Amino acid sequence: MRIALTLNGRTRELEVPPNQTLLQLLRDTLGLFDPKEGCGEGVCGACTILLDGRPVSSCLVLVPTVHGRAILTLRGLEAGGLHPLQEAFVRHGAVQCGFCTPGILLTAYAFLEGHPEADRKAIRRALGGNLCRCTGYAKILDAVEAYAREATRG
Amino acid sequence: MVPFEYVAVGTVEEAVGLLAEHREEAKVLAGGQSLVPLLNYRLARPQLIVDINRLPLDGIQVTDGRLRLGALTRHATLEESPEIARHCPVLAEAAGLIGNVRVRTLGTLGGSLAHADPAAELPMVMMALDASLTLVGPQGRRMLPAREFFRGQLTTALGQDELLAEVELPVTRRIGHAVEEFARREGDFAIVAVTALVGLDRRGRVEDARLAFAGVGPVPVRVPAAEDLLRGQEPAAERLAAAAKAARDTLDPESDAFVSAAYRRHLAGVLTKRALGRAVARAGEAA
Amino acid sequence: MAEAVTLGRGLRLVGQPVARHDARDKVSAATAYAADWGMPGMLHGTVLRSPYPSARIRRLDTGRARAIPGVAAVLTAKDVPRNTLATDVPGQTTPVGPLRARLYVLAEDRVRYQGEPVALVAAETEELAREALEAIEVEYEPLPGVFDPDRALEPGAARVHEEGNLLARWRIERGDLASAWGRAEAVVEGEYRTQFVDAAYLEPESGVAWIDSDGVITIRVSTQVIEHFRDVAEVLGLPQNRVRVIGTYLGGGFGGKEDVTVEVYLGLLAWKTGRPVKMVWSRQESLLARAKRHPFRMRYRTGATARGELVAQEIELLADAGAYAYLSALVLLYATVTAAGPYRVPAVTIDARVAYTNNPPTSAMRGFGAMQVVLGYESEMDKIARAVRLDPVEVRRLNALQRGDRLPVGQEIESHVALPELAARAWDGLGEPSLPRAPHLKIGRGLAANLQPYGRIVWLHDWSSAWVGFEMDGSLVVRTGVPDVGGGQASSLCQIAAEVLGVDLERVSIHIADSALTPLAGTTTATRQLYMSGNAVLEAATRLKGQILGVAAGILGVDAGALELAEGAAQAPDGRAIPLPELLAQCARQGVPRSYLGVYHAPAGEPVDLERGPGKVFPDYTFGAHAVEVEVDTETGAVRVLKHVAAHDVGRAINPQSVEGQIQGGAVMGLGYGLMEEVILEEGVNLTTSFAAYLIPSALDVPDVEPLVMESGEGLGPFGARGIGEPPIGPPAAAVANAIYDAVGVRVGRLPITPERVWQALQAQTGRGEGSGERS
Repeated sequence: MRIALTLNGRTRELEVPPNQTLLQLLRDTLGLFDPKEGCGEGVCGACTILLDGRPVSSCLVLVPTVHGRAILTLRGLEAGGLHPLQEAFVRHGAVQCGFCTPGILLTAYAFLEGHPEADRKAIRRALGGNLCRCTGYAKILDAVEAYAREATRG
Repeated sequence: MVPFEYVAVGTVEEAVGLLAEHREEAKVLAGGQSLVPLLNYRLARPQLIVDINRLPLDGIQVTDGRLRLGALTRHATLEESPEIARHCPVLAEAAGLIGNVRVRTLGTLGGSLAHADPAAELPMVMMALDASLTLVGPQGRRMLPAREFFRGQLTTALGQDELLAEVELPVTRRIGHAVEEFARREGDFAIVAVTALVGLDRRGRVEDARLAFAGVGPVPVRVPAAEDLLRGQEPAAERLAAAAKAARDTLDPESDAFVSAAYRRHLAGVLTKRALGRAVARAGEAA
Repeated sequence: MAEAVTLGRGLRLVGQPVARHDARDKVSAATAYAADWGMPGMLHGTVLRSPYPSARIRRLDTGRARAIPGVAAVLTAKDVPRNTLATDVPGQTTPVGPLRARLYVLAEDRVRYQGEPVALVAAETEELAREALEAIEVEYEPLPGVFDPDRALEPGAARVHEEGNLLARWRIERGDLASAWGRAEAVVEGEYRTQFVDAAYLEPESGVAWIDSDGVITIRVSTQVIEHFRDVAEVLGLPQNRVRVIGTYLGGGFGGKEDVTVEVYLGLLAWKTGRPVKMVWSRQESLLARAKRHPFRMRYRTGATARGELVAQEIELLADAGAYAYLSALVLLYATVTAAGPYRVPAVTIDARVAYTNNPPTSAMRGFGAMQVVLGYESEMDKIARAVRLDPVEVRRLNALQRGDRLPVGQEIESHVALPELAARAWDGLGEPSLPRAPHLKIGRGLAANLQPYGRIVWLHDWSSAWVGFEMDGSLVVRTGVPDVGGGQASSLCQIAAEVLGVDLERVSIHIADSALTPLAGTTTATRQLYMSGNAVLEAATRLKGQILGVAAGILGVDAGALELAEGAAQAPDGRAIPLPELLAQCARQGVPRSYLGVYHAPAGEPVDLERGPGKVFPDYTFGAHAVEVEVDTETGAVRVLKHVAAHDVGRAINPQSVEGQIQGGAVMGLGYGLMEEVILEEGVNLTTSFAAYLIPSALDVPDVEPLVMESGEGLGPFGARGIGEPPIGPPAAAVANAIYDAVGVRVGRLPITPERVWQALQAQTGRGEGSGERS
């Protein structure tokens, strides 16, 4: 079946089978490896993308349902250079193995767009659905908090 | 996942027609948060997926003290909608406990109710509110009270050719509410959860009390014995404790590999006491 | 030991929290993990696994599966040239003694654990590969199994393997225990139980294999050990130089990717079909099939004087190896050697056994036996402290090992033990006690210290190599076989090379983990890479510096020792300088190499007979202490960790930010282990094969761990560094157990410390004894 969607700002028309997840479409069909598969059940958050601006588990989205919708993956955040949120992650040591990073970046980004004044407690709550096995979360929260303070000041 | 046919229906009649034709070979796709994991792990093998996301079933309407919610109302909407916050805040509190932010973006009220996980939050709230569920089938519409809808673990009164279209609830503007959930981690399915609703009369006595539980059996349950203890009484600490004890003594959960029956029962008592405490406090504020 | 590097002006990069090069790639999703790879004509591989924990295979028919259009190959044991894999010591080069762990690539006539591989499929799509699995006809005859190590060691127990169920036993006896007990004025004892746990890295096992030019089977895989190319070659009956393993940047390893995971299957399928093959395990498959952490039952009896000095300790350990040995004998050895903790115990006996069962196999996991015993020895220390009325810091100060003391195995501690200071600083770091928010909430504090070896057992004759070389324009290349599991392994090496050679970090490129193209560096395990490969890089960079400065000295007419490399040039004391490109051109003209292959050999030793006499087992140890403050909900048993301070002596922090990250991440993994993680098995059947059921901590479950990094300057690694990968996972569970006791007076000696277990302990304490249900 044919679907049309907006991917990182560009309109795409694709021929897709119905029994495919958005994650599979992005990775296997389009070769876009930003979102990762960590669990296949929507728990870990490694596959997070923004669907019309809201975070979803792309491993739980069937491709026909994204017809006419807008999808943002991690590289959609960059506009010729790292986004300040990405820079904050690098600066604060918030990345170790990096597998959870794309999902966390998008989740944090979407959250702060709606809650720019959020404090560390609210940020922690917002990221509570994204699992990380390496960092213990502290430096991830440091980075998001630092970005939030800079973004609101600037 | 296995190959299947797919149809995005435009009308309820179309959906129902397909379900009637294909019966157990068809599965309804709403938010997908329960269905797609099963597809990913090849535990569900439908021949047809009926995508109902385009149906006009996502409205929120308040008329004559009744709140009508379309089955496609997303959890995130329940959590964030100012109308829900005003007219039925217990729904907002329960929805905020569901899964994680991603589940709440796509998961639907109807999906959660139709899936009927014994530990899920929304079925429990429907029981607390004595919600009325509208089912649509080839024969037309029928309404069922929540207590007749939830039949067993992951089993409801929905026929294979029926769709859950709408839910009707009382507006609870002057009722104190609280949802207490005990889970191993935030966002996990509850080990035990309690919904408490308390309405106070002008003298500050309990006019109405509802206690509904999740995670204590195959279906969410009310405990009339505990509710009766509260009706007409001052909501003093001892009375709330008595209601909690009645709940603990009445409920009969089972043990599983993760949690024992005794602990579940104990938690039910503790959470009831806490939920009643908060609900009463809120009722006092609302009055 | 590598020579101390003396630098004129102090360190420029080492010791700085510099941003890691891989962090930049990872925030852009530019890093290609093992599953982020496709090749033209690629097939998809899947594994058929036994649903039974113990069964005979009566019939195995792959005809229907092979007949499915799009299925390229279906393999069973008879299709595997050599069907056994040696698993004792992954990546080992020097021959090592008596350990002979074996397992089957594909099951032959019997399966011994649920999930044991029985067949392989390669097909055009993953969907077809899964369909083919379902079309393979297998008839199993379930056999009796044994699922408890105690039961497994009883006479008449069902045998998992022909040679019997006792896999290994280590015993240490030191001092005169009988008379030592006589001096004990306070005696405490306890039984402690730890659970099966999964590594649960976010990135499941994955890889792609293809046949490259000249028939080299190339396997691009997420692995901690690229030396597995030898195992693949062995299985395929090929020369070792015909298999190449490219290790990708891992999405987490934690020991779970130390053994072979997908490599051999990929090699087999690529070799059989002649086409590229991809295999990615689902989370369900990973949780089912991957080797787990050894559960331990630990029995301790500890005696001390009334002043709190330890005089005697009797320790019995029993671990579960699961169905295959893997690294069980070594894990048991680590546990045995560290079982008495970082303390002076004059008389001690340790009797440790590990038994086969039909549970899932257990193998390497962060901490490797030395972390499980922390619950044992630190619960005992807490009990001793209370018995003699000493505070937690004091009792540890009194008993901590010091340089010159010996471990029960007889190994002398040769480096500084910062333990008393670590304990004091961690404890003080908790600050003012939190106030309970409600009457039913109790606050408590607990301390736990540990020692964790870093570097591999000395009789493994460990070594590592690294090549460091300049390009003609002065940019630097490092090539080394180090797999990067996410802890900054690669970036630390860049820091070291850049430091020594006076170049900016941005001028360094590193290529890692390619068994054909990078000098082998050994496994990224055992907290060894910074120590071993750091020293190899240090050696290479230092020698390279000497080489090119020798040329510079000739040009400038100055003594080489007076020259420095800085800011991309060779600099003389009088201010004259030769820019690197010019100097390197001169080196080329004079035939002086612009590169150096550094090889670091760890000081080696011979195997120790633990019972016969003293011996050195590990090169050195990292000491640490964690202090936690918890809030216990006495109504539900729920435990919240409010504060967590984690102090470790890392010798020297090459990158302090990376060190902090390791400490925080390891501590949180330790909290998960202590409070919520458990593989639940019922008669060998795994009930926790999803992330909904196997719980790892989220950001809402743990506090911000405050890392306290101490630098004693004494470590065997470059610039005096010690390893930090594993140590932080040891103390948290014990610290939490001690804190719970402090809060509510009950000791939960069984992990994970779930709310229900705390509640049951509280019930028992008040004598109410409501039915405890099936979980105890």
